[in-house]
Amino acid sequence: MSTEAATEPQSRQTLIYHLRDVVKTREAEGVAFRLRVPNLQIAVGEKIALIGESGCGKSTLLDMLVFILQPSATAAFRFRPVPEREAEDVDTYWKQGKLNELGELRKRHIGYVMQTGGLLPYLTVHDNMNLCRSVLGLPRDGTVEHLAEELGIAPQLDKLPDALSTGERQRVAIGRALAHRPSIVIADEPTASLDPYSAEKIMSLFIQLVDEFNTTVILASHAWRHVKELGLRRLDHQTSHSDGGKLTETVVSG
Amino acid sequence: MVGALGKVFRLASRDYLHEWQMSGCFVLALAAVLGPMLVLFGLKFGIVGAMVEQLIEDPHNREIRPVGSGHYDHAWLEGVRAQPQVVFLVPRTRSIAATIELGSQSAMRIVPAELIASGRGDPLLPAADDLVAGLTRVVVSQSAAEKLGIEAGDTVDGSLARRFRGHQERVHLPLTVAAVAPARAFPRDGAFVSVALLDALEDFRDGRAVPALGWEGDPADSERSYPGFRLYARSIYDVADLRDAFAKLGVDVQTQAAEIELVRRMERNLTAIYWAIAVIGLVGFSLSLGASLWANIDRKRKELSVLRLVGFRTGDIVWFPMVQALFTALLGWALAVAIYQAAAWVINDMMAAQLDAGQQVCRLLPMHYGVALGLACTAAVVASGLAGLRSARVEPSEGLREL
Repeated sequence: MSTEAATEPQSRQTLIYHLRDVVKTREAEGVAFRLRVPNLQIAVGEKIALIGESGCGKSTLLDMLVFILQPSATAAFRFRPVPEREAEDVDTYWKQGKLNELGELRKRHIGYVMQTGGLLPYLTVHDNMNLCRSVLGLPRDGTVEHLAEELGIAPQLDKLPDALSTGERQRVAIGRALAHRPSIVIADEPTASLDPYSAEKIMSLFIQLVDEFNTTVILASHAWRHVKELGLRRLDHQTSHSDGGKLTETVVSG
Repeated sequence: MVGALGKVFRLASRDYLHEWQMSGCFVLALAAVLGPMLVLFGLKFGIVGAMVEQLIEDPHNREIRPVGSGHYDHAWLEGVRAQPQVVFLVPRTRSIAATIELGSQSAMRIVPAELIASGRGDPLLPAADDLVAGLTRVVVSQSAAEKLGIEAGDTVDGSLARRFRGHQERVHLPLTVAAVAPARAFPRDGAFVSVALLDALEDFRDGRAVPALGWEGDPADSERSYPGFRLYARSIYDVADLRDAFAKLGVDVQTQAAEIELVRRMERNLTAIYWAIAVIGLVGFSLSLGASLWANIDRKRKELSVLRLVGFRTGDIVWFPMVQALFTALLGWALAVAIYQAAAWVINDMMAAQLDAGQQVCRLLPMHYGVALGLACTAAVVASGLAGLRSARVEPSEGLREL
């Protein structure tokens, strides 16, 4: 897929992410792993599915997209969460070590759903869901309660995460990622730890909420069949082994 | 910035409360090291303090007494009194002559009393000017005062007898009780009197005239000499020097120098032992606190990563373990103080019988509690700060993937 061909259909839309020749190399015990992104453009409002076996580099890409992992090499890495404003040059922030600025972008514009909850055990469900809002100093406007209602966890708002089932915890995590109305939600296999029935239910609930909140979403999953009915755009990737199995390279584009 | 810190403080407090069992263990671990250290220091401070205080406070330890009897005239005594290490010096008359029979109206009995030469600034007597000045003012010992049923301001009758030119003679002398001496000053029946009165009584017994009191007799000798003296050194630390000075003059003296030296050596040894234990204890305490805080931060890496993910800055995150470490330090210190108080109460109660009122074997000053709190907080802040910086330096993505 050439750069021009990929850019063409989206040229009239605002790109929330624009990555060109972004590489992350990791080496451990003589085995190297390389993730290469020749060209990735994600438009505002798009719903993206990142499909692949575990270990193929999905998490690495997601970590770079939420600015908690620094790429090894970059030609361009732009983030434009607010269409009315100029794009932020993430690459420059990394190179100048402005981690707090990146943290600020993440705090304001990104919601993140982890594989396993990542809830703070000492906060109630309500306070966990309200965490990002509280950090941003947003007022209590009923968003948390509304989300809890939609996610079916309203009766649990005053409980601690300990008292919740795994499925309920993932619902709380989804609620937390959306509560501060971020421009983009990134979810790393949010239903991987659930049984297929709950997984399907929570996944469709998630997409439904993303639609309602009009949020861009990037969803990583290891199985396409889980998400193909949800109308997501699938990112291509190829994994190849070379150098006698010592180098694994994954190329993602889209 | 302040808002973020406030949020970190609130989150850290809630986490600390939520994990109350774990927090309780840290607090206990800290108190288990700090508490015994406080007791140890309290004992050292109390015992050595009481010993030194007793040495310094008790004038008996500063007393220097000549052995046997000599001939000390006024000029010689003036020379000794001029030395800066000497704070009190009065001559003593012959002890056989230094007695009197005391009688009072409230007690129908006669009490024979030993007389002790005294004067302005007597260390055994309450500090007041001229309690025993003149020929009629005396300070009676507590034992004598009880037997006679008298108190300060009363008048007692002093009487003494002599055989003079073949006749038995008895004279009476009204004496004003200026004060009653503390029990420690003189344990038997006695009275502190001026040297002038002692001179007069000795003259009377020797058959000489005492014109001031109207007692007749032979004319007095021109130059008087005394068989002994009462001398007190400025401090216990001057006793040994004075003893050596007297030895050079050929005067054999009796002092508490050996006991003083013993206690001082004991104080030095106890202090050395204490410091050895304290340094070991302090190192152990810092390591124990540091290790538990360090381990705690490792345990919380994922949660700290979540906080970074939702937008807390690295600088804010470091405060999270630090706030919790300060809680541990504060609560651990409070528990240690409680342990110390209980132990000190038991120890002091056990020893109460052997001690003077108000004396304590186990004792700390408010300052010592403050020092302990300062040490605990410093160790906590340093250990958690180092551990917090370490955790802050980890890339958040690494913390997140840990399970």
